[in-house]
Amino acid sequence: MNKSAQKLDVTPLVDESYCAAATQAIRCEATRLLTEGTVAAVIGYQAGRRKGTAMPTIVSSPEKAAELIFSSACVNNLALYLTKAKKEVRGKGRLAIVAKGCDMRALAGLIAESQVKRDELVIIGVACAGVYASGADRAAPLTNATIARKCRECVVHLPEGADLLAGSLPQQPMLTPLESQELARLEALTPAGRWAFWKEHFSRCVRCMACRQVCPFCYCEQCLCDRNRPQALESTPRPAGNMAWHIVRAMHLAGRCAGCAECERVCPMDIPLNLLNRKMAKELKELYGYEAGLQPQEKGPLAEYKDTDDQSFIK
Amino acid sequence: MHHSKKHAFEPKIVAFVCTWCTYAGADLAGTSRLQYPANVRVLKFPCTGRIDPVFILRAFQKGADGVLVSGCHPGDCHYMAGNLHARRRFAAFRTLIEFVGVDLDRLEFSWVSAAEGGKWVEVVTELTNRILTMGPLEEFKALEAEECWSGKLDTPELQEAYNNI
Amino acid sequence: MPKTITEHNLRLLIDSLLKDRFRVVGPRLAGAMALYEPLAKGEELVLDQLPRRSAKEVFFPVCENILSFERTEAGLQVTDVDLSAMSETVLVGVRPCDAAAVPVLDEVFSWDYKDEFFLERRRKTTIIGMACTKSDDACFCSAVGLSPGETKGSDLFLTPLLGGGYGCQVLTDKGQQLLARYPKLFVDTVDARLAPLAGGTGDRLDLKRIKAWLDDNFESPLWNDIAERCAGCGACAFLCPACHCFDINDEGTTELGHRRKHWDACGFGKFTNHASGHNPRDLQNKRYRNRIMHKFKYYDDKFGQTLCTGCGRCIRHCPVGIDIAAILREIESRSQ
Repeated sequence: MNKSAQKLDVTPLVDESYCAAATQAIRCEATRLLTEGTVAAVIGYQAGRRKGTAMPTIVSSPEKAAELIFSSACVNNLALYLTKAKKEVRGKGRLAIVAKGCDMRALAGLIAESQVKRDELVIIGVACAGVYASGADRAAPLTNATIARKCRECVVHLPEGADLLAGSLPQQPMLTPLESQELARLEALTPAGRWAFWKEHFSRCVRCMACRQVCPFCYCEQCLCDRNRPQALESTPRPAGNMAWHIVRAMHLAGRCAGCAECERVCPMDIPLNLLNRKMAKELKELYGYEAGLQPQEKGPLAEYKDTDDQSFIK
Repeated sequence: MHHSKKHAFEPKIVAFVCTWCTYAGADLAGTSRLQYPANVRVLKFPCTGRIDPVFILRAFQKGADGVLVSGCHPGDCHYMAGNLHARRRFAAFRTLIEFVGVDLDRLEFSWVSAAEGGKWVEVVTELTNRILTMGPLEEFKALEAEECWSGKLDTPELQEAYNNI
Repeated sequence: MPKTITEHNLRLLIDSLLKDRFRVVGPRLAGAMALYEPLAKGEELVLDQLPRRSAKEVFFPVCENILSFERTEAGLQVTDVDLSAMSETVLVGVRPCDAAAVPVLDEVFSWDYKDEFFLERRRKTTIIGMACTKSDDACFCSAVGLSPGETKGSDLFLTPLLGGGYGCQVLTDKGQQLLARYPKLFVDTVDARLAPLAGGTGDRLDLKRIKAWLDDNFESPLWNDIAERCAGCGACAFLCPACHCFDINDEGTTELGHRRKHWDACGFGKFTNHASGHNPRDLQNKRYRNRIMHKFKYYDDKFGQTLCTGCGRCIRHCPVGIDIAAILREIESRSQ
């Protein structure tokens, strides 16, 4: 790597004023909504104890709205808190939620799947220039070196369709699409090569279920992997069951995944789970022209069919 | 492929079929006294729409060397469109397991109607022959036997490995 | 005279142990992270990273068979695990927070029921601990009464020296035996100067006061405030050196199968789900409350120890940023 390239690596992608403006707009709107009683709670982010960290928060009083922030550390997809898996949050009443573009796609998906009603939800969209990669040095600013892989190829920096847009987008440099490159690399391998790649990753899986628990679309009350009579797939954290679990999860998310890549971010074993989701999204786009978007779509690609669907693989 | 050497083993092939068309088709092959390899184990479902991809995965995991999924031709589904929904689902599933590293030559899909006893024989024979040339599916079997390192007991192999250090 | 060992000899020690048919487990690279895994040679030992998972799996595997069953013509045959086939193991390069958790786990695994799987592995393992010279803002071992130089749980303890190498402290007979087995690798040094240990590992918490607050506050709005965000995964419990809950599952068919013991976590919704469908911990905050209560009250009540060594893994890897160190400070301040 030459010197200028190294220099480019540490150029901050956002400045303080960008986060400050978004934070200010979110606080204003949250205070207004809570004071007027339009919503019972606002789901947003607050700063964590450690420098450069943030965490989800559910704010129910206008005074607390001053704790809300937005920064490059606001990595979570908060749509998680709207699902039926989070009854205690839904039970509060009408909700407002802070959403980045990728979170907005998840909201659109949940609305399409009749999990959330759009008119019962206030969406505070944020112009998002990208967030930190998991494990990135939080003492450093958001740079080419610390930005999440999903953000390098983001096409939804502005969550259109939100009720309000907080902040404005700084100039966006072109970033190398590392995830697409990795996907292409895997696709070019032999089946045996891909098997070896996934086997190594999946064998480290401990079934902490973080991938499932943070996924807005994993809201089933009875997950297939928890069933034991009959057992559809092994629930023990052994290589065989792990492989089956991740295949099944990718299949259940095919045509539904919004691409927020939370599963990959939270994996404590660094399994690149979003590659599976990316692969499925890519195939479903090629096969059926379907793409997860910012607007709710009536039906996902695997919930409908056409007479003209490809069947060249069927004898 | 037809020229390559066949492995000396009896492949296990699992066929997931719909009861209305393919099962009846296979039945017709039997009553017509048509010969086909006995390697295939037929599992009957109400419709291809009921065949969850996880069944295919489970079959591979539990020792199948090849899997066949077969049902009614488009337009013939007893439940109007179960097979058309299945068509999309299996198109997606194929690409997924290929991406994970499963050779798609081990997984076959077909439409076989109740009148197509001959086609059933053809599909099953061709798949069996193909699996014979490919050999047993070792990856899943090896994976099934694998334990995480901490759960492993000391084995002669492990001691042998230490000796070779 | 104090014993020391050079880094080269430490790696040589691993090679020698392997030659002598020990299983040697230590921090090893797995992708970008380190994990405690069996080492194939001394070179593989990673010295500058806290492994992502704790060392507990050496004694308490992620998943292990505890019996096998098979239906034969003679009837159902049940085969027990041959405990004598468990390897003689040396666990090397263990961080103080991981080593200190092992005696804590001894209590629960040798309490009313003697867990032979844990205890057999424990008997057959020698632990070489290593002091920390590096910490991050998630570390809080000093806050829970330990330190980057804590020797609890170690049989031998290595402390980095200024100018390289390690000072070597013998703490148990097992440690002494290991040292005596490879005398040439250790040397006597008169003027060994210890490198400064990691700082910033947290001001001491008053665990007694925290426990007193927990005694009185099973019902408190605090639980909802801190745990409403909890996503209900098991990342914290699975990375934790002290969490030890497990589930037992029979897998296979009625003809042939295994009974398996594997990690479980109180954060899971199904953890306390009864067969009737009733779930006494029906909401996430009740599950999170159990995590804190178990670590800082129940375990103390029962065994007089704290079920937390301040390794900080749960803080670093919580998907929703829950920070147990901050929560303990909050409880401490409420107990004034």
